[in-house]
Amino acid sequence: MSAARDRILARVRSAATDAHPSADREVQVASRLAKPPSGPAPHQASSRGSARVTQFMNKLGAVEATISRVPDLSRLPASLAHELRNRNLPAAIRTGTDPMFKGLDWGAIEPSVGPGRMEEPATLSRAEFGLAELGTLVLASGPENPVTLTFLGETHFVVLREADIRAGFEDFWASWRERGLDPRTINMVTGPSRSADIGQTLQLGAHGPVALHVFLLGGGNG
Amino acid sequence: MSLHEPTTPAFKANARRALDDENLQLALRGGRNGFVSKRAAARDKLPEFDDLRDQARDIKNHVLANLDLYLEEYEKKVVESGGHVHWAETAEDARNIVLDICRKADAKIVNKGKTMISEECGINDFLADNGIKPVETDLGEYIIQLRGEVPSHIIAPAIHVTVDQVRADFRKAHTHLPEDRDLTELISLQREARGVLREKYFEAEVGITGANMLIAETGHSVIVTNEGNGDLSQSLPRVHIVMASLEKIVPTLDDASTILRVLARSATGQETAVYNTCSKGPRRAEDPDGPEEYHVILLDNGRSNMLGTEFEEMLRCIRCGACMNHCPVYQSVGGHAYGWVYPGPMGAVLTPSLIGVEQGGQLPNASTFCGRCAEVCPMRIPLPKMMRSWRAREFEKRLTPSAVRQGLGLWAWFAKRPWVYRRATAVGAAALRAMSGSKGRIASLPLAGGWTGQRDFPAPQGGTFMAQWKAGKR
Repeated sequence: MSAARDRILARVRSAATDAHPSADREVQVASRLAKPPSGPAPHQASSRGSARVTQFMNKLGAVEATISRVPDLSRLPASLAHELRNRNLPAAIRTGTDPMFKGLDWGAIEPSVGPGRMEEPATLSRAEFGLAELGTLVLASGPENPVTLTFLGETHFVVLREADIRAGFEDFWASWRERGLDPRTINMVTGPSRSADIGQTLQLGAHGPVALHVFLLGGGNG
Repeated sequence: MSLHEPTTPAFKANARRALDDENLQLALRGGRNGFVSKRAAARDKLPEFDDLRDQARDIKNHVLANLDLYLEEYEKKVVESGGHVHWAETAEDARNIVLDICRKADAKIVNKGKTMISEECGINDFLADNGIKPVETDLGEYIIQLRGEVPSHIIAPAIHVTVDQVRADFRKAHTHLPEDRDLTELISLQREARGVLREKYFEAEVGITGANMLIAETGHSVIVTNEGNGDLSQSLPRVHIVMASLEKIVPTLDDASTILRVLARSATGQETAVYNTCSKGPRRAEDPDGPEEYHVILLDNGRSNMLGTEFEEMLRCIRCGACMNHCPVYQSVGGHAYGWVYPGPMGAVLTPSLIGVEQGGQLPNASTFCGRCAEVCPMRIPLPKMMRSWRAREFEKRLTPSAVRQGLGLWAWFAKRPWVYRRATAVGAAALRAMSGSKGRIASLPLAGGWTGQRDFPAPQGGTFMAQWKAGKR
């Protein structure tokens, strides 16, 4: 298809250069790619400190996700067990190989590791970041957190360190690049799946999770 | 290809039928105000919304002025991540590329996330004709696939279907389920579709999705969804095909975020969609899931010819649907009346560009020129201005019906002779006033049956504008 490629690009190039003549297009494009200009960010993407955590929790609540705070990592299994019991879910959890979960004493919960399967009552992932601006969780795919766990779990549990909450897209992408992350997929998740395609009435649990629960890990531990 | 043949030239007849369709009118009434009020609430909650619209517009203008360079950069990044880029000049090229990939993958079932580009290319019919079963996985798309229909809205494809119709369709299609099951509640319908489609995700060899954006900086394709079906369709099958048109490019992840900030708010009134997913390339050696092959089909299909013309700004469109949600014509007749893939004001501008003014020239006439579409467009696309340009072209090409041409000619004769025009309007206004009697309304008017068939014609009140001006009422 290289002939089609060349013809399309030639048409685009001649239209672009005729309508927008500029001597240094290549330089402009290269410099913009290297250093994207930042426009005025909305105020709601600028929270700090404890207000940021509060905003994040409120935004998540507004999109029908639930949230519980876990003071340190060693308490995660107990918190998970509590949630599984309360939701009448089997005492089992599917995770990836995230180092955070290694060496945890899961107690009565039966852990299994791997990608999502057709029936997946409860899955657990770790989010790299949270965005207070929208109540969004950002997950990076890979063996640590398989992407299918995010979409096949009937109930999806996500652990997020409080210290990983960013105010909005601006500081989030800066941190993302700083961490040198380059996964195959970046999954921004804001609430459980939903659809209004039947009767224009919004209902939770379309094809992805019916419920989303976040464990917010305090103290920067873990 | 029957579903795909445009019926755009029959817009008037289509609209007439739509107005008389009780089920359709019931469904349209149900959806009418939801989108409008939710968007307004989302806008009110974000003081910087209009600044963000300016930013989004500027990003796309910059991209369009440098589209060749960004396309090359994007292609380079996709290839670096192990993906394949295919260039399609026409819908037919795109169909053949899809079929070729499916055949190489020995595909029997192809799962589809919601993609308007696939609708534009008529992929479903084409695959079915070639012995491959396409399965729509977006709930709305799934419903209309069961009904043998095409989408009537770009983000709510089944907005024209009533709940009772969905119930009947599910009973007819899901015969493997108990006949006496309870489908009273809406949620039971949604759960049923969820169960049926969950199995399909694991059966398909190929998954096709669209892309809301393509990021030049990284080579990511971005999908924006609420249901999670797009993500399952692109994560589980062995092969993932992304179908996207050329202008979907944005330079960087940061630019994508700006677009995301206006997209969901304009579309459904959500601050963000539930899932904004960026993906690139096939699964890596260490990955436990994801497709083994990743293909992107870049579709031109007439778009490169819009660059540098009065219709270039249409290429900023991010397919949020706000223009149709706010359009009085769309609200009255729904999407199918427009007769092709893209309905509403954006469709009225885009369709003649893609399938020719001879086929699509009727659509720019489907406007009251109230201007609400341009008012709400997150990308600030001057839709009414472009519809006017199409009307002018239609007139120049002598495609306008002779009665309209003669009427316009007659009006032009008067308009060029102001004195005659003023006398004629004064006489006309007085005559209409006399016809209306004391009611101020006229129930039936010669030569204006198209108007009075649906509603009364308001009689002019007071003198003409020029008479009032002269009298000093300024």
